[in-house]
Formats: sequence, structure tokens, C-alpha cells
Amino acid sequence: MSQAQALPTSPLKQFWLKWRFHLNILLILIPLGFMPKYFADAKLFRGEGGLGANVVSDIKVGQWSLDLAELRDEAPRADGPAGHFKLFNAALCKTCTEGAKAIYLRIGKPRSLRAAGTIFFGAPYRMITSLPIPPRTKPDADLWITIEGWDGSMHQASIPLAQASPSTVAWLKKQGGTK
Amino acid sequence: MNTLIRTLALPFLMLAASPALAHNPMCECEPVAGDQVKCTGGFSDGSGAPGVTLDVIGYDEQVLVGGKLNEDSSLTFNRPEGEYYVLFDAGPGHVVEVDYADIGQP
Repeated sequence: MSQAQALPTSPLKQFWLKWRFHLNILLILIPLGFMPKYFADAKLFRGEGGLGANVVSDIKVGQWSLDLAELRDEAPRADGPAGHFKLFNAALCKTCTEGAKAIYLRIGKPRSLRAAGTIFFGAPYRMITSLPIPPRTKPDADLWITIEGWDGSMHQASIPLAQASPSTVAWLKKQGGTK
Repeated sequence: MNTLIRTLALPFLMLAASPALAHNPMCECEPVAGDQVKCTGGFSDGSGAPGVTLDVIGYDEQVLVGGKLNEDSSLTFNRPEGEYYVLFDAGPGHVVEVDYADIGQP
């Protein structure tokens, strides 16, 4: 007696039975599509792609000078009820890490050293911080960098936010209508 | 076709899920009855902040109210006169400022 089963009548079913094996190839192709992003991220996080986007070089802060860049050229990211944040990278110049205890970043001039903003962490040549962006920040606001020395001294410098992160300014202008 | 969707659902979900951000400090202040202000601190990963310093500082940098958050991560204080800001201080670089103008009237 024949064991052969009758062919399914539905053309869709026939198509599926005939081609399902080739999903293997699809499963290999899917990760391939994500590889450019993976390698770009790996390059960025290793520092091989530079400090980040919109690098502002050689900002003089007291006796130090540093480079500042946003990690990605994109609008601030929401972090639940805590608000929106932008990641900034900074690097002290190669010969001037001595004496710097802490580096802070803030939108607007800090009122005091206690409220100097968010702190940069990481190696002196590649530090990172998560800067809160209040939605009501004016687009012409300045970004203030505060360096606290081990001797207790405080040094400050500022650059326009529009120079450090044009996409944040664009985002702020868009927020202006709703907040 | 459902099988196909089900087969691909998990890999797609895993790729779509982005890792959570670091825990950022946060502080919210609201007016409460009796001309008082209640501030609640915490971190964006959902953890509370009992025992963390919360100071109310005048624009002249005088500390008007110096306190620590209670067990429920909040502190209630009498609304000070004049211009001031609330400083949630979880350590250097982990601060949140709330300006008096952002604390509404009851």
C-alpha cells in the first residue's frame, strides 16, 4: 500500500512546504543587516571613531584645556520621569590631566560648586556624562564646564549649546510650542 | 504564516529591546496644604532615595532648610519667603535643582 500522502491542495501550503528550508538563509541575512551599526558602535565606544559628533576642540578652562563632543548627533533621549538626557564625551589635553579632581557639565552658569551639574566619569582622555536637558531651556543657552582642582580651586568656561549640540537646540525649538 | 511570525518574533524583539540608561537622579516638588512644599527624590531606575540630602537654598546661597529625605524618599518643609531652589544632593555630580518658579502655588 502506498504511504505517499496526497499533496496539499492550498497553493500557499505548497509554497510554504517547498520554500521553508530557505528561511535558513534569511536567518543568516538578518544579523548581517545589523552589522554596519554594530561595527560603527564598536568603533565609537572604543574611541577609534574620535570623541563623538560636533567636537569642540581646545576649550580653555583655567590651566587646562579640553575637547567636548556629544556622543551621538541626535535629540535628547527620554529617561522616564527623570526627563531628557544627552550623553557628552570630553577629553583633557594629553599633557594637562594633573591637578584636575572633577569636571562637571551644566546648562547655564552653575550657582555653586555643589550644583555644578553632572560629573564626568571615566579615563581623563575619554570621559562621559549624562546631561539633563530641561525642556524649557532657551535655545541660546550656554553649556558650562566646571573643573574642580585638587587644591580646591574652581575654573569655568562656557560654549554655546548650539555649537556643542545643534540637534539638542533643534529639539528644544520643537519643544517650545508644547511646554 | 503564523509559524513564520512566531519563529521570527523572538529574534526581532531581542534586537528591538535597547538597554536601559544609567540611573539618573530625579526630584519632584509639589505644593501641599498649609503653605508647605513636598519634595520627592529618587532615581530613574525606580529606586528611592531615603536618607539622601535635600537642601533648600536661597538665591544668596544661604541654606534655608537642610534636611535628609525620609523613609518614603520625601521631605516636607514650610515654603520659604523669596527666591530659592531645592537641591537634591546624592553626591558630587549627582544633583537635581528645582527652582521655586517650577513649584506651583497650591
